[in-house]
Amino acid sequence: MKTKDIVLIALFTALIVVLSLLPPIPLPLIPVPLTLQTFGVMLAGLILGPARAGLVLLLYVMIALLGLPVLPGGRAGLAVLAGPTAGFLLGMIPGAFVTGWLSVLSIQNDKSKEVSSSYDTFRPTPVWQIARYVLAAVIGGIVLVYAIGIPWLVFVTKMDFAKACWAMAVFVPGDVLKAIVAAVVAQRIRRLNMV
Amino acid sequence: MVYQLRRWPGIKRIARDGPLTPTTQDSYRKMLGSLYLPSGTWLHLAPAGLKLAVLALSSTALMWVHSPLLLLLTCLLVCLLVRCAGASLQQVWRQLRPLVWLLLTLGALSAWSQGVLQALEMVLRLFTLVLAALVVSMTTPLTQMMQVVVWLLGPFERLGWVDAEKVALGFGLTLRLIPELGVQWQDIREAQLARGLTPSPLTMGVPMLLRTLRRADEIAEAIDARG
Repeated sequence: MKTKDIVLIALFTALIVVLSLLPPIPLPLIPVPLTLQTFGVMLAGLILGPARAGLVLLLYVMIALLGLPVLPGGRAGLAVLAGPTAGFLLGMIPGAFVTGWLSVLSIQNDKSKEVSSSYDTFRPTPVWQIARYVLAAVIGGIVLVYAIGIPWLVFVTKMDFAKACWAMAVFVPGDVLKAIVAAVVAQRIRRLNMV
Repeated sequence: MVYQLRRWPGIKRIARDGPLTPTTQDSYRKMLGSLYLPSGTWLHLAPAGLKLAVLALSSTALMWVHSPLLLLLTCLLVCLLVRCAGASLQQVWRQLRPLVWLLLTLGALSAWSQGVLQALEMVLRLFTLVLAALVVSMTTPLTQMMQVVVWLLGPFERLGWVDAEKVALGFGLTLRLIPELGVQWQDIREAQLARGLTPSPLTMGVPMLLRTLRRADEIAEAIDARG
């Protein structure tokens, strides 16, 4: 791991912290205000790829558990791990990893197509690449995070599983919106080949 | 000239909302004060590893306690510990405020679906766990926490999986960079407002990331140059 990778990991961790600490944005038609924390998680996955994105989230969770108020609402400390929403926080680690893995996969597929054939083949337009990024962000950043977070919530609160799912459903529209924005931003950055 | 000024939406927004609040690095640093309360109670003097181990064990044990009376007793005991740690009510409340609403909602939901006794048990248990963890966070400084982390990483380091030095570098860099990025966000927001753009995650994201990546290059070069 080169120095630049460590610096990138530290920078993206700081970015997620800053995004988490910004006041939540209220939106029309969506019942709960958006926090940008998961937006940062998706961005880290899409831009840094699996290994580094996983490490970013590992560092973020470690900092939070050590007692620095870096989670939305200024919460922190080991208390978070005891709380009912800890599953969502821990789920973000594999979530970022899978988002990164899928996004890298989609790019590799493109490259092989370009190399193997000549002019008239399918060239992925930005729209297609964005769609793939959205899919990666949705699978890693939403489905996987909820797949870990909801059972944790059910286990800690002994709540009914179906009811927990319904209670979490209010967050899904906002999350999908964040995935789309993250994909558009990531496509614009990825095009420049800076990472 | 006057007409052009009126057409410039930024000025309207500034006239309506007042000038943007000045955000300095200091205010971000204040925001990031650790939970640690510097005072020398006996809880502060206990070794960090011991406190963390006791916390982990008692939290696990509490999962199997089902009698509300016993839970209430534990809860009172932990409240006493918070008092021993020398925390003021205000400081504790600032940490608990977001959680209290969540707990009340969850308690109501669970009282409705499973009965009041179950709900009471769940709320008491969670509250106790959170308070106990808060005590450890408030009485252990960051450096001691880091030492425990490094100690926990020890076996992995001997296997050659992680490099504790690099973990420490990443940790320190992150803490240093949080206020920097906060100021950077504010800069971009002000630049866009001054040009009459409404900041949105889409228009903020690209310049924010571009600056971040450029800065990564600079910092990496600086670190490599120093060796």
